[in-house]
Amino acid sequence: MIHLFNGLVYGALLIVMCSGLALIYGLRRVVNFAHGSLYMLGAYLGYTIASYSNFWVALVAAPAIMLLLGAALDRFGFRLLQDRDPLTVVLVTFGLLLVIEDVVQTVWGKGNLSLAAPALLSRTVDLLGTPVPAYRIAVIAVGAAVAIGLTLWLRWSRVGLFVRASSTDPTTTAMQGVNTDLLSAGVVGLGTALAGLAGVVAAPFLALSPSMSSDVLIDSFVVVVIGGLGSLAGAFVTALVLGQVQALGAVFLPDVAALLPFALMVAVLLWKPAGLAGSRT
Amino acid sequence: MSLTKIIISVLVALAAGGVFAATVGSGTLLSLLTQATIFAIFALGLGFLLRQNGMVSFGHATFYGTAGYIVGILLQTKAVPAEAAMLIAVLGIALFAFLLGLIVVRVPGIAFGMLTLAIGQMFFLTASRSRGLTGGADGMNIDWPSTLFGVPVSTLLKPDAMFALCWSVLVLIVLALALLLRSRFGAITEAVRDNEERARFIGIRTLVPRAAVFALSAGVTAIGGVLSALNTGFVSPESLHWSVSGVALMMVVVGGTRALWGPALGAIVYFLVKDVLGDYANHWMAIFGIGLIVVIVFAPQGISGALLRLAGKRRVAADRPPPAKRAAALD
Repeated sequence: MIHLFNGLVYGALLIVMCSGLALIYGLRRVVNFAHGSLYMLGAYLGYTIASYSNFWVALVAAPAIMLLLGAALDRFGFRLLQDRDPLTVVLVTFGLLLVIEDVVQTVWGKGNLSLAAPALLSRTVDLLGTPVPAYRIAVIAVGAAVAIGLTLWLRWSRVGLFVRASSTDPTTTAMQGVNTDLLSAGVVGLGTALAGLAGVVAAPFLALSPSMSSDVLIDSFVVVVIGGLGSLAGAFVTALVLGQVQALGAVFLPDVAALLPFALMVAVLLWKPAGLAGSRT
Repeated sequence: MSLTKIIISVLVALAAGGVFAATVGSGTLLSLLTQATIFAIFALGLGFLLRQNGMVSFGHATFYGTAGYIVGILLQTKAVPAEAAMLIAVLGIALFAFLLGLIVVRVPGIAFGMLTLAIGQMFFLTASRSRGLTGGADGMNIDWPSTLFGVPVSTLLKPDAMFALCWSVLVLIVLALALLLRSRFGAITEAVRDNEERARFIGIRTLVPRAAVFALSAGVTAIGGVLSALNTGFVSPESLHWSVSGVALMMVVVGGTRALWGPALGAIVYFLVKDVLGDYANHWMAIFGIGLIVVIVFAPQGISGALLRLAGKRRVAADRPPPAKRAAALD
């Protein structure tokens, strides 16, 4: 029971991470290797902001800074490279990953830091007879809010319509009078902000360390690739499944638990290279 | 390039390596260059895949690290002599990669990168978690015998001998690949890379050549892994980690893949720059990250591409009469 719960918590975190990754891929066709580093940067920014004010300010301010950073990344990075081979842009994001990791290590050091959960949520709640930290329930709520919010936004708002149109065919969308450059900057900004949000949300229950980016990056890749690159719904479902696979695998199949996500990914890619819900590769 | 030109370049390169090893007295410089040469072989393999197949692998460290592990395990169990163990490691990995390639090269584009990344991480996790033979996360020492191919290992491990050995292996691999690419195989792989569908239309079976390129690429990388195991006498799970593949890919991009030897040049530049940075080496990640971005944005063909263009311009300029005369001739 507690394992199902923990799986759900990690799944919720992955939802926040992967929705950003999927959004960026959808509009820019870029598999962002720097996404894990952006998540880490968000977490560390949150740590610093929280140490000057409190957790709630950090929860808003860190993603806001990441939003600006993401928009700048699109304007001065992806937009200039949009006619290049997607693989070269992937390598640019790999370069960016190296830069961000170095910046984080230089500014915050290599040691582990921890960010305390806010007082309001640092107690345990009785969940069907099992005591669980209230903070983890809040994480699940954030994941659900991001999933529902993004779905509603993309489905019902005018900008959401533009985003969907542009990820299907940016040229035609631009011809219809949509400013796709502005749209992309906004969406990459949003995706980066979501990575930052995931970082701040993760900080109180996963330790802050310079190695925190790598594991989450790889797990997020597994999720978006299995779910289908650029497909949000696919990513949501896969994130939840992967959370359970990791949590339950660690208990019932401890020897191969770490391999399971990759085995799953290999199997799905060989069967459907575009991913379960994807239509393109 | 004509055959004689290739042979001459190879002889010159071999001689230059020998002279260099004999004259440079500094052991630290030689061991730095040895390391660079080993990574150059790794990058050569990875670049070959990109050049002939247009595919980017994020899991090539698998072949690099596993080669060391195979040699280590075979020597520890004393199953075969060391020379055979080295051969088994390289050929075994090439064969494994060929079979794997038959399956994975069908996966297009970025998904291929993700797939190789996943396979690589499976190897990494297996090696770092398994206890016993491979030593888990601590890595394993490789107990080389006292002689290898009749030469005492202590002689081989001297900085100058080690550098000369690794350099010669690198040059000979470049020669072998260059000769191979002059054959029909080279033409087929280039046709398949440029347009697989059309290549199939003209009757080329595309799957086997692509898997063969993948196998060759893995085999070359495995040679680098074996040399690294000889050089350091040690292999650890870190050598399997995807970030190692990422760094190798960085060398490939910086060196450029227009020339076969581009990735090797990239690796050597990488190590030299890292050494020159010295005190700033703590920040090598940021420096190389920025360097990588600059190269991709401003010199997509890498260093080798820029060199070739420079050489090409000069040759064209020499062949053609100066513009003023040509204008006069037209009048």
